[in-house]
Amino acid sequence: MTYLTTTYSTIQEFEKLPASAVELSLEDINKSIEITTEFSSEQIKWQIYINHLALCVFQKWLLNREDKLDIVIDKCTLFTPAIATFVDAIGKLQVGEFKICLLTVASLTDEKVSIPRAVIDLPEYIPHFYVLVEVLEEEEMGIISGFIPYDQLVKQKIDTQIQPDEDWIYEIPLTWFNNNLDTLLLYLRCLEVTTISLPIIPNHSHNLSTIGNELALLLPELKEKELKSVLNWEQGSLILTIPELFNWVYQLQSQPKNTTNNLYLKQHLVDLIKLLSQPVLNVGRWLSDELDEIAKELSWVLLPSLSLASEMKPMRTPEEELEVIIRQLHQKGLEIPTQARGAYQDFKLVGIPLRLYAVTWHLLEEYVSPEWTLLLILGAPALSSLPSNLKLRISDQIGILVDQGLNPASGDSYLFTRVVGGWEEKFIVSISLMDGIEVTLPTFSFNLET
Amino acid sequence: MVIASKYWEIVKIDAAGKKRVQEIPTAKKFCTQIFGTLNISDAEVQSQLWKLYTTKSSADKHLLAECCLLCFISWIIEQSCLKLAEKFGEYHGFSYADLLPYVLDDDGRFPRNNSYESFSQRILKSFDQKRGSLASWTSVKVKQNPALSQFLLECGVYLVSDWAILNDTKPKQLERILREFHCLTVKEIEDYKKILHSYHGVYRSQRLQQRSVGIRGKCPAPTNEQLQQIANSLSVESVPLKTSDTIITRLQNLSTLLRQYRVHVRGGLLPADSLDAVVGSKGNGLIDKIPSTSTAIANPGDSEEEESEFLQFYRPQFQACLQHALATVIDLRVKQLEKKKGDKAKTYLQALQLLHCQNIKMTDIAYRLGLRGQDTVTRLLKLKEFRADIHQQMLVKLKETVKNKVYTSYSIEKIQSLEDRITIALNEQIHKVIEEATSPSRGDKSSPKSIFDDRLCKYLDSRNKFI
Repeated sequence: MTYLTTTYSTIQEFEKLPASAVELSLEDINKSIEITTEFSSEQIKWQIYINHLALCVFQKWLLNREDKLDIVIDKCTLFTPAIATFVDAIGKLQVGEFKICLLTVASLTDEKVSIPRAVIDLPEYIPHFYVLVEVLEEEEMGIISGFIPYDQLVKQKIDTQIQPDEDWIYEIPLTWFNNNLDTLLLYLRCLEVTTISLPIIPNHSHNLSTIGNELALLLPELKEKELKSVLNWEQGSLILTIPELFNWVYQLQSQPKNTTNNLYLKQHLVDLIKLLSQPVLNVGRWLSDELDEIAKELSWVLLPSLSLASEMKPMRTPEEELEVIIRQLHQKGLEIPTQARGAYQDFKLVGIPLRLYAVTWHLLEEYVSPEWTLLLILGAPALSSLPSNLKLRISDQIGILVDQGLNPASGDSYLFTRVVGGWEEKFIVSISLMDGIEVTLPTFSFNLET
Repeated sequence: MVIASKYWEIVKIDAAGKKRVQEIPTAKKFCTQIFGTLNISDAEVQSQLWKLYTTKSSADKHLLAECCLLCFISWIIEQSCLKLAEKFGEYHGFSYADLLPYVLDDDGRFPRNNSYESFSQRILKSFDQKRGSLASWTSVKVKQNPALSQFLLECGVYLVSDWAILNDTKPKQLERILREFHCLTVKEIEDYKKILHSYHGVYRSQRLQQRSVGIRGKCPAPTNEQLQQIANSLSVESVPLKTSDTIITRLQNLSTLLRQYRVHVRGGLLPADSLDAVVGSKGNGLIDKIPSTSTAIANPGDSEEEESEFLQFYRPQFQACLQHALATVIDLRVKQLEKKKGDKAKTYLQALQLLHCQNIKMTDIAYRLGLRGQDTVTRLLKLKEFRADIHQQMLVKLKETVKNKVYTSYSIEKIQSLEDRITIALNEQIHKVIEEATSPSRGDKSSPKSIFDDRLCKYLDSRNKFI
């Protein structure tokens, strides 16, 4: 085999560096290397490295021309490991009032620019401007080489009827991009942000409740596969826009191959999808002496403020029953403040009558962000005995927090547990018998304002 | 044709750093012995010398053949440098003599000093006759020389290496380019995709590792160890490529295919590159060719009456806004340059002064300020950006001023529509001013200064007073 190289003249391959080229510093390179260390896949590491270099180039380019426009990179997709992995673009960058999405074109010049479908079709990621950044890794240089406003891209897309391919990529001709970057600067400096209108970000919980069950089955397959090979676009777009879900997939893919953790993750996924799609019960309202609509619908009964003074009676009301339990818990060292409020719900699991008490209060300490507590007590009405294989599980957005059964040795006739979270946190509670029979209660949340 | 002297004369750099051609008598004698006065082509000469060099039956002949081939290589190296300087030297401010020391490091001594391996020796060692001519192999190696590349990069000329191209190519692009541009078969494309995948797995991750320990610069050719790793991961994927040798050939072929596509695309799609390429032997050829940016904002409705109303507003503001824009843009540029090494900020202000206030040509500015060439002045002044920034900063300021003034008497809708008109009117006016500053007649020193130059020079004067 001969070297094809010889057919090309040496000189033709040398190029002039445009005067607008931006030099990357050693610091830029080190920072870009550093952020790759939290990724395990070699392919992804390179993608992150080059994309971070592109971000450095853009920041420098802008700063060289204009120091009155703020660049906000905190929300940039590059710093959300899951999205940085799944979407090969640098989205959610803010310059002044404008949203920017950077697209890296590397030293191989291509007539087509590969743009992930997510940044064109998903309102969460749609910017006002797409900006091309040519990264010359080897030369430690970068060039801002073109841009296109979102509205123009959409118009061209409709005119030419370009469709995304099966890899969720649009191959957009380079010629669509304006290579006069002074015009981009003019827009950033002078244009009103409302001139380019962007689609509104939708609420996904409805979609999730319809296809939640499908997702619970499909997502575990992503362990060693790419999103696009397991999911259709409708499913994929939910994953890409709901942080709890993309973080879950990312966590699954970051696990070592033969981990025993998979069962745990699967269980959490089921809880997570319910947590995100089910109606939410606001226990914060209890503190203002009312039940919200969801609680009423599910026949929760609000109990009066707690008092520990009343005496033992043979026939107890639920209120008295709770007081007995609370007294016992108090003896075990659990402090429950007097402003706490509780409610209960009676329900049946395969014919077995059960009663769940929920007690809530908020924790306000001066130097920490406010938190709330949910104390759950699962028993049977009138504290009759519980099936020995009964289990109580609580999950939040991050993982399974509690998964406990009745301890036969304790002689308790109820299960209790307590979880604490920030005000934005939600909990989902499931009660099961060992043989896979399970009931999930509505998502618990805590909001004092509504 | 009689065998040329290039087989016994070597081009070298002497102790004083000057280029010199030195005859090596033993080599001359050797050539005359073998080839006599035969009418023999270059290819045959090289083929015979190559045979003597590789069949090590006689140590003497091996060394002499090597010496002749090294002489030949030195001429090709010189040629390559000449071509580079011809194409880029004037604009980027280097001569071919600047390039030679990076690639001509053979002292031409015979017998050779064994402890030092010169660049031309490395070229010869890596040459494989089956792969083409020694001349083209030499020019390939010259353009890949790291030290030369670094120097050229500093001058604003670069060459992307094969390895960087492969690093940057995504499987999807590879597939499309090989299918649509090169019309390869499905099987060929599949094989290349697998090779690229293995290459990425090995080379990219090691590049990142090297970067993380502070190794900089061009991507070196893969080491034998890396090639072996690539081969190993390929055999897992059942591509029958066992040896490092075949791997490197395949990789290089792939990179060449991609490079051909690249040259095609850049030739056709990126004429903007040629903007900097205008060789400025006559004044500021560069900025004269810059297209207008005044069409940047969408077309508003046109009402002449309102426009003249608007013009009345802005005329008194115009000078003040120009002043403000000059200060903003120059200040920012100076601030950025002050962060860099050396006296860049001061040089920048001087260059600006020479160009706008003394009508000095770019090439002369380079000379006066001790800069490498016109390219360096272009990079420093960035006139295209300078112009756009002044224009836009005026726009920002004028819009503010005019808006404040009319805000009380107009409705929101009115202001919105006025804003469109302001934009257009200002674009034209600012353009006119800057147009004057860059018109071809500027070489004529007797012509009066434009408002733009006048303001700029006054501003630079006032800055100087405070330095």
